[in-house]
Amino acid sequence: MPTNYRSSITPTWCPGCHNYLVFAAIQKNLSDLNVDSSNLVMNYDIGCAGNFADFFKTYGFHTLHGRSIATAMGEKIANPNLFVCVIGGDGGIYGEGLNHLVSAVRSNINIKVFVSNNFLYSLTTGQTSPTTPKGSRTKSTPTGNINVPVDPVKLIKSINPDVFVESVDNRDMVKLNDTIKRALEFPGFALVDMIQECVAFGKQLNS
Amino acid sequence: MSKKVFTIKFAGPAGMGIKSVGQLFSKILIAHDFNLSDYSEYPSLVRGGHNTCQISFSQDKVFAPHYFIDILFSIVPNHWPQHLGEFTKDTLIFSDEQIDQINPEFNQKRKGKFLSLPLKTLANEIGSAQVVNTISLGVAAYLFNFDLELTKTIVCGFYKNFCDLNARAIQSGYDYAKTNFSKYKLNLIYKPTTKTTDFYEGNEAYSLGFLAGKGDFYCAYPMTPATGALHFLAAKQEAYPNLKVIHAEDEVGVANMAVGAAFAGARTAVGTSGGGFALMNEAMSLCGVSEVGVVYYLVSRPGPATGIPTYTAQADLLHAINSGHGEFPKIVIAPGDIDESFEMGYQSLNLAAKIQTPVIVISDKFLGESSTSTQDLTKIKPEIDLGDIEKNPNSDYKRYQYSQGGISPRTIPGTQNGQFLANSYEHDEYGFSTEDATTAKKMFDKRNSKYKLALKLAPKANLFGNKSAKKLIISWGSTKGPILEALKNIKNSSDFAFLQLKTLWPINPDIKKIIDGFKEIIVIENNGTGQLVSILKSQFDFNPQKIHLKYDGRPFFPEEIVKKLNN
Repeated sequence: MPTNYRSSITPTWCPGCHNYLVFAAIQKNLSDLNVDSSNLVMNYDIGCAGNFADFFKTYGFHTLHGRSIATAMGEKIANPNLFVCVIGGDGGIYGEGLNHLVSAVRSNINIKVFVSNNFLYSLTTGQTSPTTPKGSRTKSTPTGNINVPVDPVKLIKSINPDVFVESVDNRDMVKLNDTIKRALEFPGFALVDMIQECVAFGKQLNS
Repeated sequence: MSKKVFTIKFAGPAGMGIKSVGQLFSKILIAHDFNLSDYSEYPSLVRGGHNTCQISFSQDKVFAPHYFIDILFSIVPNHWPQHLGEFTKDTLIFSDEQIDQINPEFNQKRKGKFLSLPLKTLANEIGSAQVVNTISLGVAAYLFNFDLELTKTIVCGFYKNFCDLNARAIQSGYDYAKTNFSKYKLNLIYKPTTKTTDFYEGNEAYSLGFLAGKGDFYCAYPMTPATGALHFLAAKQEAYPNLKVIHAEDEVGVANMAVGAAFAGARTAVGTSGGGFALMNEAMSLCGVSEVGVVYYLVSRPGPATGIPTYTAQADLLHAINSGHGEFPKIVIAPGDIDESFEMGYQSLNLAAKIQTPVIVISDKFLGESSTSTQDLTKIKPEIDLGDIEKNPNSDYKRYQYSQGGISPRTIPGTQNGQFLANSYEHDEYGFSTEDATTAKKMFDKRNSKYKLALKLAPKANLFGNKSAKKLIISWGSTKGPILEALKNIKNSSDFAFLQLKTLWPINPDIKKIIDGFKEIIVIENNGTGQLVSILKSQFDFNPQKIHLKYDGRPFFPEEIVKKLNN
């Protein structure tokens, strides 16, 4: 029988949001690995992806924006027996909290980071994020984003090639499931960059 | 030996072992059962500049270093004119220069007796330019009638790999002094009134208190003057296998790691100074709302911004009390001396565990990096309070259950059925996010009601001196030593009582009752705006007659306080 990681709260994402897929895939793989929900700590960043927080019933920490990795590192260092995960978006993990990501990658600490990368700040209605393609017109860049985007896989590999980092297009459910599985099984730091289009604000991207 | 307090000062550029010679001198004092209190000044430099270490010592308790110096050693030439104001007619100034080489202007202004000490020549005879500091120590050992062999043993224990070299340096200074300075020898007869066992810096004492309090997670980013605690604790990890000391990427990382560690069950503290503490503010607010107890060891230095990094100030009290956005309970305690630094090392962990909220221990450079002799702190075994922990939760466990007194038992991750969400958002009893008006108010009230227990458990104020005097001195933190030392030396000491506040937030209403018993109130603070005055004014009718402030980066010296109290 699969382990139950669900709270009684119904998810509040937009109809058609990729986070429903991610939610299903993470639960399935945790259960397949027999991760005990009383030994599991999920850390949530702030944003649409951070809103996973209320839908899980495990030990959890809905942290500050950008700081989910730092909080997760504290938990894992304090008690290495805990199974520690992070769920966040491209804004929190690659922007606000980039220094913590770099630090975690350098240390190859055994935490699992899942990034719902939709190239935008969506909860705040669609401003440019660190992964927004150059030229995209968003509410905070009405004349077009002048910055080149961060490539998280290249960035992380350049810091520490020994960690697990892969990008996956969420539309390929089989591949998403397999990548999450391998990340959870990896004996060190693992990050899955989960590419998805925001159903509410994604149309404005110049991709 | 009379009751007199002696003060010695070593001065020279950074990198010449000024701090080391000071530490050695203190070790020798302890071996002779003296009490001591020291103070160091150093620039934000690795080499060069002007470093000093001064030690005041006596056979009675010395609460603070004195301003006026009995003996000064300029380890290299020209490191004494900076201290002209600290000399008396009896001060002995030793320097490696001839009196006719000295700038006549300095000589004219100078009080005291200038004595030429050929440190460079003596060091060359020994074969190392480095030992000028230990040669000076040999001279001091002669002048203070220290046991020569004991002195050598202590120096050898300190410079293990250079024992012979430094023993010869001690002998050389001792012999030179015997030949040339015998008329200045103080024939001290030792009649110890106390048995001193050791001396500690405030940062060390705090760290020992943290360890005694079963602290097992300490996280910091190097920042003077708090770094001493990071170094001390980092080196203890072998002896304490459960202890984790982390130097994180920045203070934001430090503070958020600490939240995670404390949530996961560790007894957690972070260490920093004003600038780093500013970066930790958001995480402190997170601790407040998610009810995670973390200790912030804040060792202040003068700001704003980078300020004067290696000097002292009590300028962050309001910042500490007002830290973190939003409204949540917080406890701010301030040690006044080395023993209290130790006590607050474990008390803060107990408070954080019990009240489940941020606890700030506010010290400063003067206390954190100065030493005072005291009992052997490593022998003290304090009571440990782990707080209310739920080990066997039922299937409907509510981490944030409304309760009398506001404290709800917590589960440690790993506990069966104890799953809950710690949340930076306002939340319900399970921890799930809410925007409901009734819940928001109830949760605020639940958290705020924890102040009642905080008031009960937080350290009580000390009242010293004549409790029926007319005048009451009020202060907090590191000014305690200079005030007590001043009261020891002032002629009309029975005119004064001294109230030392140890808990700065929340303010205990009993303070008002104590204050009301005195006619004249004098506040002393090492800052420029009278921050304690502001806090007390915010709590009750408070109008001190005199406020003495100092904000030049230096601590108060007892002589200054005597002068201010006499005015």
